[in-house]
Amino acid sequence: MLRFTHLSKGYAQPDGFLPVLNDVSGEVARGESVALLGESGSGKSTLLHLVAGLDVPDHGTMLLNDISLTDASAQTWNRLRREHISLVFQDFHLIPTLNVDDNLKLQARLAGQLDLDFCNQLIERLGLTGLLHGLPGELSGGQQQRVAIARSLAHRPTLVLADEPTGNLDEQTAQDVMTLLIDCVRAANSSLLMVTHSPAMAAYLDRRWHLKAGELHED
Amino acid sequence: MKTERLTRIVWVNRVLLSHYRRHPLQAIFLLLGLTLGVALWSAVELINGHARTSYADAEQFLGADAHFWIRPTGENAAVSQQDYIRLRRLGFVELYPIIEARLQTREQDWLILLATDFMALPIADAQNNSSETATPFVGDALAFMTPPFQTAVPESLASELGINPGDQLTLTNGQRLPPATLQSRPQQGERLVVDMAAAFEVLNRDNFDYLGVTKLSASREQALRQALPEGLILTRNQQSLDLQELTDSLHIQLAAMGWLAFVVGLFIVFNAVRFSLWMRQATLTTLREMGIGLDDLALAIALEALFWSVLGTLLGGGLGFLLGNLLLPTVSSSLGSLYGAIITPTVTLTARHLLQAAIMTLLGVTVAVAGPIWLSARRSIRQQQHQTLDQQFQPRQLGVQSLSAVALLGLAALYYFQIDSVSDGFVLLALVLFGSALSLPPLLYGAFWLAARSMPASWWRLRWAMRDAFAQLPHLRIAMMALLLALVANLGVSTLVGSFRIAFTDWLTVRMSADVYVQSATLDADALLTQAPLKVQASHARTGLNLRWQDRPTEIRGVNTQAPDMRSLPLALSEPNALSQWAEQGHLRPILANEQVHHLAGVNLGESVSLPTDTGTVDFQVVGFFHDYGNPYYAFYLPKATVSQYWKNAQPMGLAIWLQDTNLQAFEPDLLDAGAEPGDWIDQRQLMSVALQIFERTFAITGALNTLTLGVAGVALFAALMSIHQQRLHQYAHWRALGVNQQEWLLIVGGPLAGMVMVTGLLAIPLGAVLSALLIADINIIAFGWSMPLNWSWHPVANLAILTTLTLILTGLTALWRVQRQLPNALIRLGGTA
Repeated sequence: MLRFTHLSKGYAQPDGFLPVLNDVSGEVARGESVALLGESGSGKSTLLHLVAGLDVPDHGTMLLNDISLTDASAQTWNRLRREHISLVFQDFHLIPTLNVDDNLKLQARLAGQLDLDFCNQLIERLGLTGLLHGLPGELSGGQQQRVAIARSLAHRPTLVLADEPTGNLDEQTAQDVMTLLIDCVRAANSSLLMVTHSPAMAAYLDRRWHLKAGELHED
Repeated sequence: MKTERLTRIVWVNRVLLSHYRRHPLQAIFLLLGLTLGVALWSAVELINGHARTSYADAEQFLGADAHFWIRPTGENAAVSQQDYIRLRRLGFVELYPIIEARLQTREQDWLILLATDFMALPIADAQNNSSETATPFVGDALAFMTPPFQTAVPESLASELGINPGDQLTLTNGQRLPPATLQSRPQQGERLVVDMAAAFEVLNRDNFDYLGVTKLSASREQALRQALPEGLILTRNQQSLDLQELTDSLHIQLAAMGWLAFVVGLFIVFNAVRFSLWMRQATLTTLREMGIGLDDLALAIALEALFWSVLGTLLGGGLGFLLGNLLLPTVSSSLGSLYGAIITPTVTLTARHLLQAAIMTLLGVTVAVAGPIWLSARRSIRQQQHQTLDQQFQPRQLGVQSLSAVALLGLAALYYFQIDSVSDGFVLLALVLFGSALSLPPLLYGAFWLAARSMPASWWRLRWAMRDAFAQLPHLRIAMMALLLALVANLGVSTLVGSFRIAFTDWLTVRMSADVYVQSATLDADALLTQAPLKVQASHARTGLNLRWQDRPTEIRGVNTQAPDMRSLPLALSEPNALSQWAEQGHLRPILANEQVHHLAGVNLGESVSLPTDTGTVDFQVVGFFHDYGNPYYAFYLPKATVSQYWKNAQPMGLAIWLQDTNLQAFEPDLLDAGAEPGDWIDQRQLMSVALQIFERTFAITGALNTLTLGVAGVALFAALMSIHQQRLHQYAHWRALGVNQQEWLLIVGGPLAGMVMVTGLLAIPLGAVLSALLIADINIIAFGWSMPLNWSWHPVANLAILTTLTLILTGLTALWRVQRQLPNALIRLGGTA
């Protein structure tokens, strides 16, 4: 479903060019979950951003459902992010001025794929029923992340990209959120590529990739 | 647009607007900026329109300021209704009939009765040359013009004679005047006014004393002369005081100031829109992460801008209307009176004005949103994720702004030598103002950088304050630019109005120094001066003619060099002993010319002008230029004898008389005895007092507008401060956690703010002076050919300093109050996330 080959990316710095990813390749199948592990600065988020179309690789190719993303236009990327790719961030990225209900249905509405029954299932499964009319700022970190997860899955995307979704949460909350994420991703039949530096969190997922010195290795 | 996209845009707009639901203060400031900007601009338009209406009203109502008169030539003759009607039917709608009669009441009081046909008054001129044909007569006006008619009695006269509304004055012949209504117009003086039909009944006559004629073009004047029947003569009113021409300059410049106020309002909007966009940066980034393209975002933001513009324009238009009514009580009070329908402010606040304001506002808002969208388009989503507001004001941007400021000011310096039209002048003003406004942030940055560097390390609090200025500057720079423009506009208008007031008052005092001005075909001037030597202090009989010189109408006037108004004639530019040289008339034939000859015809002091005389062209040497405000023609003064020598056809141009005790009423019987008809003389003191009243009214309104403009800038500052503190609350909570107390916080945050306002205020002083100098010394001369002395006063500077300080204290205290209120909550959050 998602395949990237020979991806390279680096950034110009005042003291020269800094390579981050060096000829990395990988593949995630439909319904599969993959953890991307590595130390700070190893390029985990960069790889996630490239796959999400938030940044452009220097070299390499990417395919999603056999559609080439290498030379995709901005419009194509926008449509993909609206309908097929979802993002979950460490700091939630919720709209602070919309209530929980509007937040979790927003992406589905923008994609024109709102399924109220499925949304209600997600709300129930994620324990958000009593929180729907509050604002994100009134929720705890764990609650906010559950809203973000619901939002990312409400339109049943093909691929969920999560960037350290439990990084801001305490251990117990992180475990709860992780369980729910895996559970909901499976319910939506989506694939998951998750960046984390925690082996404990990575253990929840089907496969584990390690990024070291810009190179990708699988366990 | 596809339904899918439409739904998407609606949802994006809903997301964007939800920001204001949670931050209503920002919405209020945004609307306030738009509304106040539009309101001020509308109010200035309204006031300018109203003032022009007043001037035209003054001219037309009195008849004394008619540009021409049509008088009968024979002894005791009158203008017949038939002749008047024939001329009107020929299309001369500029004419209106007048009866001016001296009546004695049964109580032996002498009164002057003025009657005209109100339907014939060419009041359409009063509406800024609008051709709208609204009838001026509504409500009470109908009662005024239909039996039993009404007599408009000035309140002061009514109180003197003990007349109450509804009373009827009885004349010595037993005739009774229509019921009195107390209704004074400043131009009416102490005269009773009735409709022409009422005058016919009371005076038992069916003809007019003379016809008044409003301004005519040269061709119309020629046509009217040819159309005049036998026995009627068209004469130019030599003493007409065209207030509209006099004040055109003031109004053009006030209009410019109105636009400036509008621009200040737009700065607030610019600030508010940009700030609200920066506040929503995270939301915009999230939307992009969710697949909303830049095109969809731009469209949604443009729709939001349209929404605010329309709302702001409507509210601003409404507020402008209210403001106009508030500032012009005479407008409201006159609604039901004689000219009510004409002077109503709605006449000037038209749909065209609102549309203009809406377009300007939309343009301003679009410019405000275009920048952030353009920046977003250039950055990837990943870059946007890591962007904060502080990063928006980088040294690179500072450099670009400095270069733009230098470029604009340099362009202005070069352009200064090229200006030869009013529009050029305003372009120059715009270059200077915007160049200076752009230079302010780099100047502030430089000032704080220097201050921070020069402070010893032990003054750590002050050093911190100076460094904090760099955090505040990105948020406050637009507000400071708005404040600068408002201060400059204030100083500019104050100086302009002050200069106008002094120049016009001085000039009017000399020009209208005589108590009475007589222009009569039947007056025996010698007899008058002989029979009343004890009443007359001095007199000045002028002669003159009009000719063309340098393809422009030119007035030649023969004057008495020893008359009081000539001995103190104010000269704008002159050679030493110019007045005595001119009075003695040496072989070089010294002549005095009006300033227009200098500025428009390019004649310099000491140069010769060749004038066409009866014996051919004769050279005269210009020894001085006199002020001649509002005169669109060239004018030359020569001693009367010299004029008679070169132009045999020079005609008498009226007689100015200075009375011993300034009691015109006691002198009127002498005028009548010497052959003058009622209506042949003008009470100059009355006329001057009216002129000054009208000026003062305009000036008072201008002062109020000035204060409001500063208020708009105050709102900008307030809005920016509120936003900055909201944004930095988390930071303040950190400081508090570190142990920074309230006094230290005030010093660190308030110190730079006070410094910025001080630098802005200091920069505004020279800029205000430059603005006034450009308006008065350059643009005015280019536009009208006359100058006036620049009257710089520190009084408005002191007033502004006080007002700005009060605004600063008020906004500072409010900000402090809000921060104090929100800080505990911020501290709790700090604990929660630490």
